Amino acid sequence: MGSQKRIAKELAELVESPPAGISVELVDESNLYEWKVHMEGPEGSPYQGGDFILKLSLPTEYPFKPPTVSFATKIYHPNVTNDEKGSMCLGMLRADEWKPSSKINAVLQFARQLLAEPMPDDAIEGRIAEQYRNDRVRYDEVAREWTRKHAIPK
Amino acid sequence: MDLQEFLATEPTHDRDDLVDLRALDFVSSYDSHLMCPICHCPFVEPVRLQCDHVFCHKCLQSAITTFRSADSDEFPCPSCRTPTTRVSTSVPRLLVNMCDEIQVRCPLQAEGCAELLPRCHVQSHVDKYCGYRLVPCPDDSCEKKIRKRDLQSDERCLHGYFLCSRCEEDVMEKDFEEHDKELCSSLETTCVDCGTTLPQRELKKHVDACPDVVSPCAASKYGCQVKIRRADSGTHEQTCPLISLGPYFEAQNTRLNSLELTMRHLQQRNEIFEDGMSNIRNTLLESARAGRSNRRRSVTEPDRTQSQNEDDPTETPNVFSSNATTYLLSLHESLREEVSQMSHALTDLDARASMTIMNECLRIKEDMAHTNAAVNSVRMQVQWLMNPRLHNGARTGVIRTNTASTAEARSQLTSTSAPGPSSAAGPSLGPLRPRRPSDTGREGTKL
Repeated sequence: MGSQKRIAKELAELVESPPAGISVELVDESNLYEWKVHMEGPEGSPYQGGDFILKLSLPTEYPFKPPTVSFATKIYHPNVTNDEKGSMCLGMLRADEWKPSSKINAVLQFARQLLAEPMPDDAIEGRIAEQYRNDRVRYDEVAREWTRKHAIPK
Repeated sequence: MDLQEFLATEPTHDRDDLVDLRALDFVSSYDSHLMCPICHCPFVEPVRLQCDHVFCHKCLQSAITTFRSADSDEFPCPSCRTPTTRVSTSVPRLLVNMCDEIQVRCPLQAEGCAELLPRCHVQSHVDKYCGYRLVPCPDDSCEKKIRKRDLQSDERCLHGYFLCSRCEEDVMEKDFEEHDKELCSSLETTCVDCGTTLPQRELKKHVDACPDVVSPCAASKYGCQVKIRRADSGTHEQTCPLISLGPYFEAQNTRLNSLELTMRHLQQRNEIFEDGMSNIRNTLLESARAGRSNRRRSVTEPDRTQSQNEDDPTETPNVFSSNATTYLLSLHESLREEVSQMSHALTDLDARASMTIMNECLRIKEDMAHTNAAVNSVRMQVQWLMNPRLHNGARTGVIRTNTASTAEARSQLTSTSAPGPSSAAGPSLGPLRPRRPSDTGREGTKL
C-alpha cells in the first residue's frame, strides 16, 4: 500500500533526525498508523519542563486525509480540549485545509509552536482563551500548576 | 487532458507486475525537489498541473479520486490547493532524466545481486540480466523455483536430492556444485604453510591466523627484502632497521606529496601571471603607439612637439628597441602628415588674405565713386548759383561795361575752377537761362 511506504519513510526520518524537543515511536511495532509522541514543553512557556505525550493516528488514506493529534497528557491550553480526549485544534489538520504535501514533521513542529504561543482566536476552550487574553498571570499560574501535576514525571 | 481522460490512462512504468520503483534502495542522495510530495519518493512518471506542481502519475490519480467532489470537473492541487481542471503529461525532460539517473541497488540484493545501476535500468536488469531472479523450474511437474543463473541449458529440474558420497548429507542438485567445492564437511585441505589438515570451509579463517604463513616484512615497500613467518615477525620487527625508519619515511612521503602539490599550484599561478604580463605588455604597446600618433597630430603647439621629442628617446629603447625601423617609419609618416597639414593651412591663409584685400579694394572704389559724385554735385550747384549772376551781368553789360568786365573775369575764374560744360557754355552765351536741376544729375552721370 502506498501510504505505508510514505509513513515508514517519514517515521524513519523523524527517528533519525528528530526536531527539537520532539521524539516519536510507534505504540505498537506492528502498526504503522498509531504513533506516540513525546513533546517537551517549550522554554519560556508555562509548560516548560513538562513531558507531554501525544497520540498521532494516521488514517489509511494518508496522505490524502489528515492525521489526528491528541494530548494523552492533560494540559491547560486554549487550543486543547479539557477532557479525556485532549483533542487538539490545528488549522492545518482540518480536512479542508490539509494538503498531502504536508509532512508529519511539520505537524508536530506546529503543535509545539502552539504550546509556546497559544492562538486564543482559534480556541476550542473559550474560557481558557478569555483568561489567556485578559488575565495572563493567572493563566500562566494554572498552566504551570497543571504541568507540574500531570506532565512532570514523579 | 482533462481529469476524466487522465483517470482513464494507465501508468506505464508504475504497475504492480513491474519492479516497484518506490521500494528501491537509493544509493545516491537526490535533491528533495525531485521528491513527489505525495509518496515522498523520486517522481515515477511525473505529470504536471496547471499550477506547475509535479506529481507521480499514480499518486495524482489517487489524489484526484480522493479529493474531487462527485461529478465536478476540478480538484484542488495537493500542494497549493489551486482549483485544477487539466493535467499535462509533458514535464521537462530534465526532470525525468534527473529522476532516472538516481543510483539504486538491484531489488534482488537479498538474493545476492550486488548490482548498482541507474533507476531507469532496473526493470530491464531484473527482466533480462540479473542472474539472481527466481524463475519457475523448467520441469513442469516441479513446483519449485530456481535462480536464473543456475538454469541448465538442457532445462533439467535441479530440485532432486543427491546424497553426498563423502559427508552423507542430502544436497539438492542446484546447490551441489557449491557444496562439492566449499561446504562439504568431508572436504579437507592442507595449509600450504603449516601443513595442518583442516576442513576446506575453515581454510579462509585459518589463513588469516596461521602462524606459519610467510609474508613479506612490513617495511617491504621501503626496501626490506626479508620474508618471514608470521610467528617470527615480532622478533624481526625489533631488529629490522627499515621498520623503525618507517614512520620517518612515511612523514617524508607526505611532505614530498604536499610539496609537489604546492609546486604544481605555484607553476599554475606562474603561468597565469606570465599570461597576464604578456597581455599587459601588448596593451602597453598599443596604447603607446596610439598616444604617440595622437600627440603628433597636435602640431600647432610647438612646446608639445618639443616635449614629445624629449619623451621619445627615453621611451623608444624600452618599448621599441626590437623594431626601431618601424618606429622611425611611423615617425616619418607622421611628419609627412604634419607637413601636408601645414601646406593646407598655408593655402587656406593665402586665400583668406586675398579675399580680404579684394573686399577692401571694392570698398575703397565705392567710396571714391561716392566722393566723385559729391564733388560733381557741388560743382553743379556752384554753376547753378553762378548762372543767374552771369545772366544779370550780360543784361546790365550794355549799361555798365565795367561791371560786365568784372563779371567776365569772374566767369573766367569759375571756368578755370570747373572745366567742362561751363567752358562749353561760356563762349555760346546766347540767351542764358537758369538751368534745370535735373540737368545737374545728367551732367554728374556723364562725368
